[in-house]
Amino acid sequence: MLAQMGTTAIQTHGLTRRFGALTAVEDVTFSVAPGQFFGFLGPNGAGKSTTIKMLTGLLEPSAGTIEILGQPFGATALELKRQIGVVPEGMALQGRLTAPEYLHFVGRMYGLDKATTQQRTEELLEFMQLANESRKLVTDFSHGMQKKLALAAAVIHGPKVLFLDEPFEGVDAIAAGMLKTMLQGMIHRGATIFLTTHVLEIVERLCTHVAIISRGRLVANGSIAELRSGVASTVPGAEGERRLTLEEIFLSIVGADGMQEPQQELSWLA
Amino acid sequence: MAGVGGAGVNGAGLAGPGAGPQEPAGPKGLSGGGERPLETGVFGTLARGQYAALIRLRWHMFTNELRFRKGALELGARTFGYMLYGFTGLMIGAGAGAWAYILVSSQQWRFLPIVFWIGFLIWQMVPVMLASFQEQFDLSILLRFPVGFKSFFLLYAFFGLSDVSTILGGLCCAGIWVGVTLALPHLFLWTTAALGVFAVFNIFLVRAIFAWIDRWLSQRKTREILMAAFMVLALSAQLLNPALHNFPGRSGSHASRHARPQEVQRIELEYSPWLRTANEIQKWLPPGLAAASIREVAEQNPGAALGRLGLLGVYFLAAGLVLAARLKAEYRGENLGHSPKQSKRAARRVRYPGKESTSESRSEFASETTSAEAGKAWSGAGWLGTGTGPITAVMEKELRTLMRSIPQMYVLGAPLLMVFVFGSMFRSNAGGGNVYPLALPICMAYSILGFSQLFSNNLGTEGGGIQLIFLSPTPVRTVLLAKNLFHALLFGVDVLLAGILVSLRLGAPDSAVLTGTIAWLLFALPINLAVGNLFSLTMPYRVNPGRLTRQRGSQANALLSLLAQLAVLVVGGAVFLLCWHVDNLWLATPIFLALAGGAFYVWIRVLRNSDGMANRRRDVLIATMAKTD
Repeated sequence: MLAQMGTTAIQTHGLTRRFGALTAVEDVTFSVAPGQFFGFLGPNGAGKSTTIKMLTGLLEPSAGTIEILGQPFGATALELKRQIGVVPEGMALQGRLTAPEYLHFVGRMYGLDKATTQQRTEELLEFMQLANESRKLVTDFSHGMQKKLALAAAVIHGPKVLFLDEPFEGVDAIAAGMLKTMLQGMIHRGATIFLTTHVLEIVERLCTHVAIISRGRLVANGSIAELRSGVASTVPGAEGERRLTLEEIFLSIVGADGMQEPQQELSWLA
Repeated sequence: MAGVGGAGVNGAGLAGPGAGPQEPAGPKGLSGGGERPLETGVFGTLARGQYAALIRLRWHMFTNELRFRKGALELGARTFGYMLYGFTGLMIGAGAGAWAYILVSSQQWRFLPIVFWIGFLIWQMVPVMLASFQEQFDLSILLRFPVGFKSFFLLYAFFGLSDVSTILGGLCCAGIWVGVTLALPHLFLWTTAALGVFAVFNIFLVRAIFAWIDRWLSQRKTREILMAAFMVLALSAQLLNPALHNFPGRSGSHASRHARPQEVQRIELEYSPWLRTANEIQKWLPPGLAAASIREVAEQNPGAALGRLGLLGVYFLAAGLVLAARLKAEYRGENLGHSPKQSKRAARRVRYPGKESTSESRSEFASETTSAEAGKAWSGAGWLGTGTGPITAVMEKELRTLMRSIPQMYVLGAPLLMVFVFGSMFRSNAGGGNVYPLALPICMAYSILGFSQLFSNNLGTEGGGIQLIFLSPTPVRTVLLAKNLFHALLFGVDVLLAGILVSLRLGAPDSAVLTGTIAWLLFALPINLAVGNLFSLTMPYRVNPGRLTRQRGSQANALLSLLAQLAVLVVGGAVFLLCWHVDNLWLATPIFLALAGGAFYVWIRVLRNSDGMANRRRDVLIATMAKTD
């Protein structure tokens, strides 16, 4: 039996991944409570995608443990995999299928029966505004359409924990608004969402808790209010009435080593 | 509009007004070279720099791959492959040269075009057979750089001159050149010119054909038309059958050889109107023109020779124009997909049970159906018999992918057609038309050759979708089992069809041979599946099922799977020959059944271990399948 509500939705302890001499993720420990919308931030190459791959079973950790819904999680934890949905970095689509065919395939891979898969496929295609494209092969979809389809595939089995790696990349503003509403709806119904994105405005609007990773190490973890108060003293002018934006918080935390001012302008650019 | 009309997407739009495709240098300071003006044109400073950069890029890609064990294996396999192609090409070249020498020295000029036609067919047909095994560099990546169209065209036409078709076709041409020159040395220069134009024509034509096929395969409507055309062609090829069936003189028997002149005479009489028409037509086609131009020079008709060569040159230009037309569209940044349509139903309200849908209410449906329900459904829907569950899902997906992949269907179907067309070779003309006793297993072995790639790279068409296999609660072994079952089903249909075709051509087989062949197939299938699963997990490569060219093949996988298939054939051949030698073909059945039992056990063991293997290698598998470069 899977753990009931009350335990953590996601828990890592000392999570580490090495690629030869390079340590991409080092000793990362955090927990995400059930029903939390959790933002996982970091500069490029900080280790976000590596972490999400380990959390979803796509990559084996070199060290450390992962628990999902209170159970140890690994590539062979098939029962647990049925409880999670993922939009991975590469979207995991099948180019030679149409969108309905792909959703049928995914639904059945997650153990849904045909009738349920059919019903949810139709609903999802309507919701994602892909119903008119049902004869088109996925390979002919635009990037944004593919993102929407990947998200549809991630939720078709009604997961309790949803991992989203850059879900809003390439999605137009209308679709992004729709997706945000859908994700918030899932949170209201008790699902947990683990989100990585570079769009800090989205994280600020949606997420209640945030963790920041830089150079493979977790450098901040907590609610946005906690992070704000934590860095307030280090940001000039933040002590007064003005609320720090997440971007300012982020830059304050990783900026020192992650984003230094260029020493000089590029000589050949006007 | 120079930036759009002339240069399109390649970045030349930066050049500002007046900059055409050949003037891709940007504004001062952005031109890369900086202050000095760049020579434009196909061999200008910029183009030469780009060619050099491309060569360096290929070199770096090559050396970087050697950093990995797989890369070293690939290098070994590629070296072996080129040696094999080179050897085959030399054999073909030697054969073509000897034949050309005999024909020219004996003044049998009317048969010389046949040698050229063989070279032409090798050049144009081999890529279709080997396209998916070859690694081909996709030059469309260059379009984001300021590459002039002429440079792009030149690169496309001549990049990859080391591919198999060029090696085989080129060596065939070289053989003809040597043969003709040895027979009539004074034709040296003219033969060089004629064969040179013929070779360049072939290079342009094969690239034009593949560029257009890739274009047609990329859109649904043209894909379906191409599919229909392919089927018509395949059926038309069967018309060759009666002609081949009645073609005498195939047997190498003494009586047959003795009767050959009379038979040739009879054929000429019987088929003379058809042959005459065919000859008249082929004279005006490139292989006929190349052969005829050499003949005209030998017969002291320089004007006619020049005319023929000129016409061959026109064909070369036509092939170049056809290729240019395709590449121009690609260069301008065409969208091969369907143009995005405005969703007519975007604003339509969707009615859900019990409520009018709004974006708010719709957003919640995903959570209404919980994973607990999925689990409930899962427990009762796991196996094939229910018509649902992951096994049938994977099989259904495989079927859909196959049905939309003409190259894959061709690879599977072509051997069947060849079995039907050439099956009668196993019937002897002498001795009352006796059938070679082992014709059935030989035809069967040939008909299953097309499965080699399907078996040994069964994850190849997954692409980025392979991640789903690791994300979903379906074990990898279940996915492999489903794929194996689907391939076994295809295999069964294929051998059944092959059996029917062979029976139609040669009559009902001997019962001992039939049961022996079935037993051999029962051995061949599981061992191929087992080896295929191992290769698929250890040396996979991404296959774009909608493309014939620009694939990233794996020579190591191709070579090793070929060797595995060869081993299965050798075992089959050895057992059959042994049993034939002891004059008891019935003996083959129990031997093969015993081997089949062992093969089945190996297959089960490999399947059982596949989860562990796949999970250990999942990052490599995902990286290999998901990469798009």
